[in-house]
Amino acid sequence: MPRKQGLKKVVILGSGPIVIGQACEFDYSGTQACKALMKEGLEVVLINSNPATIMTDPEIASKVYIEPLKLTYVEKILRQERPDAIIPTLGGQTALNLALELDKAGILKELGIELLAATPEVIRAAEDREKFRDILDTVGARYPRSFMVRTYEQGMQVADDLGFPLILRPNYTLGGGGGGIAYSREEYQSKIAQGLHESPTSEVLVEESILGWQEFELEVMRDKAGTFVVICSIENFDPCGVHTGDSITVAPQQTLSDVAYQAMRDEARKIIEAVGVETGGANIQFAVNPATGERVVIEMNPRVSRSSALASKATGFPIAKIAALLAIGYNLEELRNDITGTTPCCYEPALDYVVTKIPRFAFEKFSGTKDQLTTQMRSVGEVMGIGRTFKESLQKALLSLEENDLGATPVILDEALLASGNSKRIYHVFQAFREGQTVDEVMAKTAINPWFLEQVEELAHFEKHMHNTPLTLELLRAAKKRGFSDAAIAKQTGHSVEELRQMRWQNKIVPAYFQVDTCAGEFRSETPYFYSTYFSPQQEMKLARPMLALLGSGPNRIGQGVEFDYSCVRSVREFQKNGLKVAMINSNPETVSTDYDTSDALFFEPLTTESVLEIMRFIEPIGFVAQLGGQTPINLAHKLVKVGQKLLGSSLESIDMAEDRALFVRICQELKFQIPRSGMAANFAEACTIAERIAYPIICRPSYVLGGRRMEIVESEEELKVYFDRHGSYISKEAPCLMDQFLDQALEVDVDLVRGPDWTVIGGVIEHIEAAGVHSGDSMGVVPPQRLKDETCRRIEDLSRRLADRLNVLGFLNLQLAVKNDEIFMLEANPRSSRSVPFIAKATGIPLVDLGVKGILGLKAKDVKPERYDWHAVKGVAVKGVVFPFKKFPEADSILGPEMKSTGETMGRGPDYAEALLKAVVACDLQLPTEGEVFLSLREKDKGDLFPLIQDLRQMGFTLSATRGTAAYLHEQGVECEAVKKVHEGRPHCVDRIRSGEVAFVINTTSGRTSIEASFGIRRSCVDYSIPCITESDAAKAFVLALKKRKQGDFSVNPL
Amino acid sequence: MSMTKGFLVLESGETFSGLWQGEERVERAGEVVFNTSHSGYEEMATDPSYFGQILVLTAPQQGNYGEDDKWWESRRIWIEGFVCVELQNSWREKTWKQKLIKHGVPILTDIDTRTLVLKLRERGTMWGALVHESSPEKALERARQLIAEKQKGEKDWVHLTSRRQEETLKGDNPRGPRIAALDLGCKENSLRELKRRCSEIRIFPSRATPEQIRAYNPDGIFLSNGPGDPADVQQAPETVRALVGWKPIFGICMGHQILGRALGGETYKLKFGHRGSNHPIKDSLLNKIYMTSQNHGYAVKLESLPKTVQVTHVNLNDNTVAGIFDPTRKAMSVQFHPESHPGPHEASELFDFFIGQTQ
Repeated sequence: MPRKQGLKKVVILGSGPIVIGQACEFDYSGTQACKALMKEGLEVVLINSNPATIMTDPEIASKVYIEPLKLTYVEKILRQERPDAIIPTLGGQTALNLALELDKAGILKELGIELLAATPEVIRAAEDREKFRDILDTVGARYPRSFMVRTYEQGMQVADDLGFPLILRPNYTLGGGGGGIAYSREEYQSKIAQGLHESPTSEVLVEESILGWQEFELEVMRDKAGTFVVICSIENFDPCGVHTGDSITVAPQQTLSDVAYQAMRDEARKIIEAVGVETGGANIQFAVNPATGERVVIEMNPRVSRSSALASKATGFPIAKIAALLAIGYNLEELRNDITGTTPCCYEPALDYVVTKIPRFAFEKFSGTKDQLTTQMRSVGEVMGIGRTFKESLQKALLSLEENDLGATPVILDEALLASGNSKRIYHVFQAFREGQTVDEVMAKTAINPWFLEQVEELAHFEKHMHNTPLTLELLRAAKKRGFSDAAIAKQTGHSVEELRQMRWQNKIVPAYFQVDTCAGEFRSETPYFYSTYFSPQQEMKLARPMLALLGSGPNRIGQGVEFDYSCVRSVREFQKNGLKVAMINSNPETVSTDYDTSDALFFEPLTTESVLEIMRFIEPIGFVAQLGGQTPINLAHKLVKVGQKLLGSSLESIDMAEDRALFVRICQELKFQIPRSGMAANFAEACTIAERIAYPIICRPSYVLGGRRMEIVESEEELKVYFDRHGSYISKEAPCLMDQFLDQALEVDVDLVRGPDWTVIGGVIEHIEAAGVHSGDSMGVVPPQRLKDETCRRIEDLSRRLADRLNVLGFLNLQLAVKNDEIFMLEANPRSSRSVPFIAKATGIPLVDLGVKGILGLKAKDVKPERYDWHAVKGVAVKGVVFPFKKFPEADSILGPEMKSTGETMGRGPDYAEALLKAVVACDLQLPTEGEVFLSLREKDKGDLFPLIQDLRQMGFTLSATRGTAAYLHEQGVECEAVKKVHEGRPHCVDRIRSGEVAFVINTTSGRTSIEASFGIRRSCVDYSIPCITESDAAKAFVLALKKRKQGDFSVNPL
Repeated sequence: MSMTKGFLVLESGETFSGLWQGEERVERAGEVVFNTSHSGYEEMATDPSYFGQILVLTAPQQGNYGEDDKWWESRRIWIEGFVCVELQNSWREKTWKQKLIKHGVPILTDIDTRTLVLKLRERGTMWGALVHESSPEKALERARQLIAEKQKGEKDWVHLTSRRQEETLKGDNPRGPRIAALDLGCKENSLRELKRRCSEIRIFPSRATPEQIRAYNPDGIFLSNGPGDPADVQQAPETVRALVGWKPIFGICMGHQILGRALGGETYKLKFGHRGSNHPIKDSLLNKIYMTSQNHGYAVKLESLPKTVQVTHVNLNDNTVAGIFDPTRKAMSVQFHPESHPGPHEASELFDFFIGQTQ
């Protein structure tokens, strides 16, 4: 059946800010769908609040609305646009839930808008657990015995019936939010209470445990004619009990017999038919009891998902694109397989390689959090390794994590970490085999399928073999086939990495690049999507020329996420316009950059020196670009240049001048820029002397720590003493404590600029809303600045240009500066595209990435015409909002500081600051209370500063409660306020009050380690109960401004 | 057993080296074919349609889930050799590798199956041999001998795999029809599918005469799958020609090709055949599209079929004929494997269709 008649304008809903469980895989699927529908000649209207994505680039859809994915805003857009239909299956759970809301509110009916791909009935059938179980009953599928719990008392009854351990799954939450495993009654009591609170429908499914069963997933598609295909089978390395997003997974499935696999496939087909998914993709998860072969259905998602993105990358089958085309009426039979170009889309990909996905975690960012994996997802990113065998793919995936160059690095074996799910388990499995444990022993402890264990055992034994055998070419070849990096071989054999490389190159022991062709070689394919393997010699292959290598950003992690993928993807077309072909190198399956039709050639490979160098040997590029993929490629640039590769854009010297702290300080001094005073102390005595010179407050951190770990703001000598008491073991003469003047209450700004040989374009100046002290990635920001004087802003721009000239930047430069009492301090420079580039580009409309490419290529001003771009000329205000994953880390403190903790961002756009701010906050899913009680706990210096705001709150009708000190201050000022006990003052205290639901929101500003620790309970209870908790005074002002705006009620929505 | 070098030598003279995993002097020749299924190695190895063939699996790792006699599709392993990238090799009580060795099947692993597949795809199916020699030169010589010997043998592979005696199976459905099954190299699962639906099945050798079958007086006639070139099959086309129109007929794979020939059509050799579990079929009889299990090197030529015969099934990958139906004579057949094992089950409804024809 061809395309639906009368379909002209379609709305695609995005998934909003990146959060754990819903990340940039939806940028990939949405972007792919937009491109496919645009190609069909449809008018595509995209709505998403996430500015960091490719899909919100104005070129991806006919119209892009960066607006909150909330009923009122979307309703207004729909009234304005009057589309024919909405596709809700591409934006994750957020889009599905929003579609249900639109339906329930009668808006779809009123406006005559059709839901394509999934009707409300289908969404409810798959998502409502009770309805879904009825469907499973009708098709004869089994599921774990369970009960839907709606009250605490009922929950306790159910626990008695089912026994422990129990699995909790709150209804309609994403990434299993609020769920988990309860091993005991005590654990269960607190989890059930939280789960009921988390579920929008106050329902939690309490389920009998299937811990230790094997977990599988099928990615399936179905069209209106009923044609059903399994795109990919995925098997979890980790047994049930670990969320599939946190599991190591393997595709295709490896350990099911054909009989068992086909039975699962049949069941999937029956389920999807019964649920009624007519057009598009779905994923169904199964568990299989390894002892009995018994199979149960765990869940189904009637939409594209994280797994479907992985399946697309694993097989080459573009699920989201095909899902979008099915949604507008096509059948699978009518669509061609892009990869082969000759066969139809109604087929099941056959793989002649193995794919392994490994999640990447960020537990170290959330101190106090146990590294423990359960049914609630906690990983922040993932990598995929493609190899000819599981061994090769597993090792490539481990290398792709960018944690070290050994892959399976040795650890001190910890039996506890072996026995339960955690982020380090794979290393302990390796270690167990290194130490001589058998497959049976490890299986008994881990419940991992013996076939996987055999593979790991073989690798561990091969390591030993390498160690004990003189290195021959034969052995080297065998090691490379098993996926060992040169560094790993070097470690076992005592040869250097360089020697090994020479030895390999001289003897042609090099990887071959094979196509991901969806058909195991059965049909000819022209698609330049490659993976490397040492199993075969290179087939002849024609590559487009001249080609450059573009290094991507690897797995998403806190601090390096989708923003960098935006820069990479956006740059491709501009390079192409300049007559160049682009080879993309990346290891992240969630991204748009690893879509096979983004670049001229895609290499799905680890971003390690070795693998990048091999690719370059193969493609012989004119050079490589390291500025677009964040810190990962910058870190590789040195090593690549050292072996003779050509770096495009800013030279290594430019990069060093910005990256090397000593060099940078010298340049700042030379240019007469002010920088914060600093010093290095080997012990407490030295620190005291330095502190006198710098003056408190001071930021202290040990040397050689990443991501701001153990970084603290110290306000007095007393605190400095405590700091050394706590962290002294990390501080020595060799690794001194770095001490920097802390610019208390200073205003921070980010500047993103691009420069060519004789021109510079300032993309914009983002003013941080929080004062200095909060990581730039965690602070909200606004363009144009609202508090900065115009004159200061001009000076900042001038300094930025001068620094860019001095560093001789070709391409991107990101600067962080602080302003205190009109004095400008240069804080740091990043010689690359930054996290804020997509935000600025979308806030100002300046094609910053395109310009950066022109700079990298050395285009002159006469061609670039930089004078056309003036960010000051932009009308309206854009605010960056920030989302945090604290909910997923129950032991973590939500206070903001110098270490970045946020996973994603939103953008609010409006004619004025207040509206933009409100939208940015709403899009972060913060509940904005309109009435009730505000609880205040303020540090001394904020009390006066925030007094006007407190009066505003009173006027808006909020009542006040506060800790004793704050309450006393307010009473003095004649403001009515109830005093509440602090936690250590006895019960009922302020945390009891918050947990009992009496508080609408909290302002809790605090500093100094002791008071931060004392107020932990306040912040934690707010996180647990989704109550806004503002921890910084400027943020509090912004929040109240948003509340006021919300009261007014009016707003506008406008496309980019 | 120590692992040493071994070779897969193609008749074109190209050699692929790998690790010899089988018994030392068990060397064999056969047609080299590849299958893209992810699972089902034991079903494939015991499928008589693989008679005379060296099976190359594109899925790199095999033997992962062990072995089990209940997956057997006939009384023995038929393949002349088993080739893949890696074979499960760690110690277990029962492994697929041990079973292959026990049944005298040569095994070659660590070979570049991708390059091999691309070669077969470009140049078409070739003969080859698995040999255990120390050098490529010696391997080539030995392979030539083996291939020549093998090619001298009986051409009617169907006869070689078929039962020699009639055999009667009691069906599970007392109210179902009685079916005569012509064993052209029949897979067990076809018989299981029939058994479920029939009251009785009598299995006839491939060279059974029309009279033998008439004497049984069945309600329908089933033509099984089987190996080799349909043009080399003796007696079966004549038998079928004599019976067409007498009772409803249902043929699978070789059975389809035999029916095609019996109806006056021609068969031809495909370049490299269809072998896998992911072949899309458009079925205008049941009016749907589904994935099928396939394993054949020959096909029925579209233009050669008489006008009375409808082409009901088309392979959407290359638009070859995948099924025919003569409604007036109630004769139908499909090129693929509705009995699956290995592969998807959707087409099993065709057995129902056939049973419906008999009632």
